[in-house]
Amino acid sequence: MEARIPAYVDALCQEIAWMGASGGKRMAVLTVFFGGGTPTLLSPDQVERILSTCRRNFSLMADAEISMEANPGTVSLESLRRLRTAGVNRLSYGMQSAHPADLRLLERIHDTFDVIRAVTWARQAGFDNLSLDLIFGLPFQSLERWRQTLETALGLHPEHLSLYALTVEHGTPFQAWARRGLVPLPDDDLAADMYDAASERLAQAGYFQYEISNWACERNGKILSCRHNLQYWRNLPYLGLGAGAHGYIAGHRTINVAAIPAYIERCRTMPADDAFPAGPATIQAQPIDRWTEIQETMMTGLRLTAEGVLADAFKARFGISLERVFGGEIDRLIQQGLLEWAGEPRALRLSLRGRLLGNAVFRQFVGSEKPADLGI
Amino acid sequence: MNTDHIRNFCIIAHIDHGKSTLADRLLQKTGTISDRDMVEQVLDSMDLEREKGVTIKASAVRMNYTAQDGGTYELNLIDTPGHVDFNYEVSRALEACEGAVLVVDATQGIEAQTLANLYLALESDLEIIPVINKIDLPSAQPDVVAEEVENLLGIPAEDIPRISAKEGINIDQVLESVVKRVPPPKGNDDAALRALIFDSHYDPYKGVVAYIRVVEGHLRNTDSLRLMATNADVRPVEIGIFAPSMRPVDLLNSGDVGYVATGLKTVSECRVGDTITLTAHQAAEPLPGYLHPKPMVFAGIYPVDGDAYPDLKEALEKLQLNDASLTYQPEKSQALNFGFRCGFLGLFHMEIIQERLEREYDLDIVVTAPSVEYQVFLLDGTQIVIDSPVQLPDEGTISEIREPWMGLDIFSPTEFFGTIMDLANKRRAVFKEQNHPAPSRVHLSFEIPLSELIVDFFDDLKSRTRGYASMDYHFAEYRPGNLVKLEVLVGGEVVDALAAIVHKEDAYHKGQRLVTKLKEIIPRQLFDVAVQASADGRVISRANVKALRKDVLAKCYGGDISRKKKLLEKQKKGKRRMKMVGNVEIPQEAFMAVLRLGDE
Ligand SMILES: Nc1nc2c(ncn2[C@@H]2O[C@H](COP(=O)(O)OP(=O)(O)OP(=O)(O)O)[C@@H](O)[C@H]2O)c(=O)[nH]1
Ligand SMILES: [Mg+2]
Repeated sequence: MEARIPAYVDALCQEIAWMGASGGKRMAVLTVFFGGGTPTLLSPDQVERILSTCRRNFSLMADAEISMEANPGTVSLESLRRLRTAGVNRLSYGMQSAHPADLRLLERIHDTFDVIRAVTWARQAGFDNLSLDLIFGLPFQSLERWRQTLETALGLHPEHLSLYALTVEHGTPFQAWARRGLVPLPDDDLAADMYDAASERLAQAGYFQYEISNWACERNGKILSCRHNLQYWRNLPYLGLGAGAHGYIAGHRTINVAAIPAYIERCRTMPADDAFPAGPATIQAQPIDRWTEIQETMMTGLRLTAEGVLADAFKARFGISLERVFGGEIDRLIQQGLLEWAGEPRALRLSLRGRLLGNAVFRQFVGSEKPADLGI
Repeated sequence: MNTDHIRNFCIIAHIDHGKSTLADRLLQKTGTISDRDMVEQVLDSMDLEREKGVTIKASAVRMNYTAQDGGTYELNLIDTPGHVDFNYEVSRALEACEGAVLVVDATQGIEAQTLANLYLALESDLEIIPVINKIDLPSAQPDVVAEEVENLLGIPAEDIPRISAKEGINIDQVLESVVKRVPPPKGNDDAALRALIFDSHYDPYKGVVAYIRVVEGHLRNTDSLRLMATNADVRPVEIGIFAPSMRPVDLLNSGDVGYVATGLKTVSECRVGDTITLTAHQAAEPLPGYLHPKPMVFAGIYPVDGDAYPDLKEALEKLQLNDASLTYQPEKSQALNFGFRCGFLGLFHMEIIQERLEREYDLDIVVTAPSVEYQVFLLDGTQIVIDSPVQLPDEGTISEIREPWMGLDIFSPTEFFGTIMDLANKRRAVFKEQNHPAPSRVHLSFEIPLSELIVDFFDDLKSRTRGYASMDYHFAEYRPGNLVKLEVLVGGEVVDALAAIVHKEDAYHKGQRLVTKLKEIIPRQLFDVAVQASADGRVISRANVKALRKDVLAKCYGGDISRKKKLLEKQKKGKRRMKMVGNVEIPQEAFMAVLRLGDE
């Protein structure tokens, strides 16, 4: 694995350059996000090189948000300093829990001490936008234990918190264990209690909930939401670069080849410019028709608990009002107490109760035929 | 024309004793199917048959065989199903034959359907050719089984072929016995045509294809034919034989087995059991035909999505073409809306129909718990017949309810005697007598309410006897029973489709178990849902399905929105398969829950 990294970074820089050159006029970039454990694998020099390739090929805004996910057990003060110098300005640590038993269950190598140290170092390195990821609804986790995790996290004063309920997904070790009866399945009622407790506690601590699983502080009158993720939720375009990355650009959802060697191989030869948005490593570029775009806008936009789906913005984007397309669904969901109209400008959003029942809401907006009479 | 060279015979046996495998070998031996085209149980052509390894429909095929006497014979073979539910398929096949090869498994000996099918064949005056199969298996006891057969039929044990259908051992002996012992068909070729329709299937291009046995006279592909029961005239699209796929011919003679593609689009005009004659030269009398099998088990079938009602109707029509024993009538349920009350020969038959509707016709359906037919005597002296709990009139107007009882025969090694008696007891069976057809085997006879028999009785018997017991049953009589209606309320409303007729003594604990079961099965909804059971106007048990609190996907991993959308769409599809009753989603299993209230 390690041996392939230089070649991988070369390939990535090739892909970035091609995308920048082929995507029409120089694209403006507001956010960059390095996903999943990057600092563990990439040296700060390599990150620096990737970012400068971005700067050369795109208009990377001066105030761009440049985030990186990191594992608290694998960072050092030195590497954090150099990442900061390279331009990274937001860190997201996968803390998960403050309890050793939870961490063992999640097969995490770090402990709470590592987290405290990683946060301290991040501050010393000059990061003023830190996020912590926590998981609740774990087998054997009590409400009390969850509160302790939450308190520990709050004690570190992160600007941002993501709280994820454990979902036992197909193909995960959890599912295998649960099926064999080795661990209890997560209890949804307890998880709901944990979520409610956290919502209350975070509000009290001055955090603002802007998405089903995300809370942020306010600074200078602005909420420190993750701007990169807002792009997903507002159903706006983004490029997916690197092995296995997903993008949404020029009306297409793109997927890159996942295997590293195949990725490197593909980036050796560049396609013709008119292949865009399919790049050298793209294995799928699916055009998104109007109706799909509408459905996806609802599905992602309603995750934004405060902002929701703005009525005017919807009308401006699709040329038809929300009510005309989804009147029946909206009325029914409001009646069931899962949705509400709110605010100025007027927006449709999840009710307090609907936040944990998001799927029941989203399902109403997907998987239906395009209404014939609306001229969409 | 001379029929001396024709032999019409069927293969009958207990389930899994090797009928279809023997048919394979006969087809190969006679060169009807080349080795290259051979697959196991080639006559089991339905997907469902191949998957389950069970014959559901009888199938006919013609073979040419040159015997040791130098003559060439036309052999018409009909392979039959072994399962009790499909007995009627056997009876019909028998009408088209003069002989029956009775296959007995050398490791199992005589079983319930061996006897049942043998008696059917004897009633139809067929020549019986017993053969002992599976002699290749180490546990085979051909001598012991041969003696059992000798005791039963009086055919000397040493004259009974011992074969392995699987390994192709002694297959010649079977063919020679058929030629020597089965009499040629008698029919008179010059008489007016009389051909018996013993089966049919629907073909989208050729219409209803009638499987026929020409009893007297002959027919040409150019003849205009008359169906005697309906007086309908048809010009056949084609006539032919099974070789083993449909092969057109110009002429079918007296004694032949073949088919007539009628071009008809509906079953009602071409009934199994009817007689075909010539329009120009009509027979005076139709053939005796069959007694139509009477369905014994009834259940409602409803489309999950009401819009699919016409599709369901059409599918049932088509299935009935293939399966004359299926009955259906429109029915309306308060909870499930429009559907059909369907009659089946047994639970296995019901499962087969359910699966065929789902697979061959791609329908999402809800099937309600099966019920038997009850006779209800009212205080005003009238009598009604009901086959669904919904039809049961008000308690106060009833003087007596009678339920069907069956004669039940169980064959088993003697070591399982105790556990079989215990099972019978639990199911309200009454012991009649026991016999010992062989030293270590016992034949037990009981009488039992059909309602007890249809609910997993056979599964229970098999698991108690490690698969060694077999059973057969037949209708005995209606007897009074102490019966009440068990009703279920979901969200405060009576769900008629969940009701059941049960014994008064059982009502209380069945009601409790049912509520507990339903509480597990009904998924949590967006609001609390109360589930209650009541009988005799009294609430027996209640439980609460608590409102759902959490149902949300975690984060968007790396912006993979399409995957999320697909996931949600899949969930939505899953929900669509559930039936909305009021505003509660009820999955199919719930309608069957009332059946599975056993003792565990
Ligand atoms: N060892 C051995 N197995 C056999 C022989 N004949 C049949 N079998 C096996 O017994 C099983 C049942 O065979 P089938 O030919 O499907 O039996 P069937 O009587 O047609 O069954 P139904 O149509 O379901 O009543 C299959 O697994 C066969 O492979 C035999 O001579 N020897
Ligand atoms: Mg068979």
